[in-house]
Amino acid sequence: MNQDSAAASVDPSANPGNSADPQRMLAERVEQLYGQTPIAVAGMLGVAVIATYGLWGAQFRELAPFWWGVVLLIAAARAALYAGYRRSTDRAANPSQWMRWLAISALASGTLWGFTGAAFFPSRVDQQHVFLALLLAGAGGGGIWAYAASWPVFTLYAGAIAVPFTYVMAATADRLSAELAFLVVLLFGMGVGIVYRLQRAFYSARGVKHAYRDLSDQYASLQTQLEGQMEELMHAQRVIALSGRKLALFAERAPIPVFEVDRMATILDMNAAAETVFGYSSAELVGRNLLRSIVPAEAPVLNDGWWTNFVAAKQPEAGVRAHCLRRDGIEVVCEFSITPLVNEDGDLISAIVQARDVTQQLDAERVKKEFTSTLSHELRTPLTSVIGSLQLVNSGALGDVQKDIGELTEVAERNAQRLLDLINDILDIEKIESGRFSIVSEYVELDDLVRESLVLNRAFADRFGVRLMLRDEPPRIKVHADRRRLLQVLTNLISNAAKFSPEGEQVEVGVSIADHRVVVSVDDRGPGISHEFRSRIFSRFAQADSALTRKKGGTGLGLAISKLLVELMDGQIGFAEREGGGTRFFIELPLRETAEAEPG
Amino acid sequence: MPNRPLSRVCYVEDEEDIRRIVRMTLERIGKMVVEIVEDPHLAIERMISFKPDLVMLDWMMPGMDGPTLFRRMREVPETQNLPVVFITAKAAERDFSELRALGAAGMISKPFSPKDLPDQLRAIWNSLP
Repeated sequence: MNQDSAAASVDPSANPGNSADPQRMLAERVEQLYGQTPIAVAGMLGVAVIATYGLWGAQFRELAPFWWGVVLLIAAARAALYAGYRRSTDRAANPSQWMRWLAISALASGTLWGFTGAAFFPSRVDQQHVFLALLLAGAGGGGIWAYAASWPVFTLYAGAIAVPFTYVMAATADRLSAELAFLVVLLFGMGVGIVYRLQRAFYSARGVKHAYRDLSDQYASLQTQLEGQMEELMHAQRVIALSGRKLALFAERAPIPVFEVDRMATILDMNAAAETVFGYSSAELVGRNLLRSIVPAEAPVLNDGWWTNFVAAKQPEAGVRAHCLRRDGIEVVCEFSITPLVNEDGDLISAIVQARDVTQQLDAERVKKEFTSTLSHELRTPLTSVIGSLQLVNSGALGDVQKDIGELTEVAERNAQRLLDLINDILDIEKIESGRFSIVSEYVELDDLVRESLVLNRAFADRFGVRLMLRDEPPRIKVHADRRRLLQVLTNLISNAAKFSPEGEQVEVGVSIADHRVVVSVDDRGPGISHEFRSRIFSRFAQADSALTRKKGGTGLGLAISKLLVELMDGQIGFAEREGGGTRFFIELPLRETAEAEPG
Repeated sequence: MPNRPLSRVCYVEDEEDIRRIVRMTLERIGKMVVEIVEDPHLAIERMISFKPDLVMLDWMMPGMDGPTLFRRMREVPETQNLPVVFITAKAAERDFSELRALGAAGMISKPFSPKDLPDQLRAIWNSLP
């Protein structure tokens, strides 16, 4: 590569784009040429003094003032040119112009010497001829040194010396002169040749120098670039190290067991929670097969076959529940999430196994279920006897009861009923929320159901002196719903409306169809729903006025249950203020079938 | 609808208090003749001798639950056509739909209202084919 650059730099035309471009090379040559000027001018003046001494005679004396005038003029001009060049600020930008001026000055100097030779030669004696020839040869030879950087300039200079002198000598027609003329031409040719060679050498040297400088520059910039990349790499490494540490912390500090296993399910690493849950130390388990260590072989999942399928599928698995064995033999139930780590080639590198110990959760669920079952059976059975006995007494079927006793047994019956309602409501909510509650949907004649709900609640409304009525004749319409549960919701809304209406008022129930939904509304003239109560009206045990509750009964669970039930039937429940006072509660159910489109 | 009114009812129930209340209710309010059986294992034998119009079975009983007794009744010629009403504290409707397919006549959930019990039974009786 170095050789290539150097070779390319030697020939300035070969690669104009690189640093050895002709303009720059020219500027350097001009610099070189001008650099010789002071010594060259001094040399010129020195040679002029020697020439004056050597050629002194009658003829020279006559011409001396003029000749010296020309010598000094050229010397001054060259000095001025030199000074101008040195002072110039744009000399590097415009080297050809300076080269031209230099060529003119060289031509002028050469011409001076050439015509000096030509003018003084003919009248001289041989001795002086030799002196003159030597002088001119010296002037020409000095030019080699002075103009080595540009062979054309040297050619101009040396040509200007050689041509007039050669001509004069050739014209003299004696043998020595002819020999000298021949010699001058030869020397001239040699001089040009030498300068040409020197210039080539100059080019090479400069080229190598430039190439070297370019290489240095490139090296420096590469160095800078490398340092930058190194810095970036170091930064990236720090970031990776940090995120690696973060990941390690995630696993290490996770409250659930985390294992890393290879494709054979051999444990590579495990966290502290894994040690705690399974009772093994990390040293005991790392290197052993995870599944065979903690999952009994007869388990339906997470056995060897299961793992083979997982490795083949390379798909994350979640919620895989298995009974595991701790080191001390105690069984724990865990839910596993297993995530394969697949490389770019699609190979499974390892897998992250997270386990959640759900033993306690399952226990809690079981206890809750048992509690619910107890509540359901063990509380309701005695209540059946209590309510049944009191109802029998209060019905008068056993004969008249003394008035005070009758009042007390009625209080007892009412409160036993309240207790039963509460238990039923709690069981309902528990069942719905645990997902064990199923809606038995069928096509229900909604208008009939609404009428039935009015009939069922009439006696209850009578207790509050409230009349129940249908607002308009309801449209003949069927909805897809759970009949018994829908009746429960309607009963809840109607009994609430009756409870909170002032005596003598009426509760209006209406059915309408709007935008593919059936709306059943229950309107009362009660006190309305206060702003504070609105947000929690459908919450559990929400009652606006507990004093009123004690007077009128209710568990505070009715609306919460109604909301859950209606939502199970893909409907919505809501309420709005009613114009003229009171509240409208409504349920909206999706309109699935009209009476005409009944299937079957 | 059967051509005679409901008058003879047999009730199988392990809980003594409920037995007493049901007996009083059906006798005093419903004016029916009532046979109460405590032990479900003796129930079929007692039904054969009592010849009830309708049988009420408690769902949950120790020893033998209502549905099991019901299935046994279906195997005995004298009891296999008797209308059966289940009394249950479990709102086990799905289980019941299975029994209804086997021919159970109805279900009354516990706690029932003694006042309404005779009417509920008569309604079921009247709805029979």
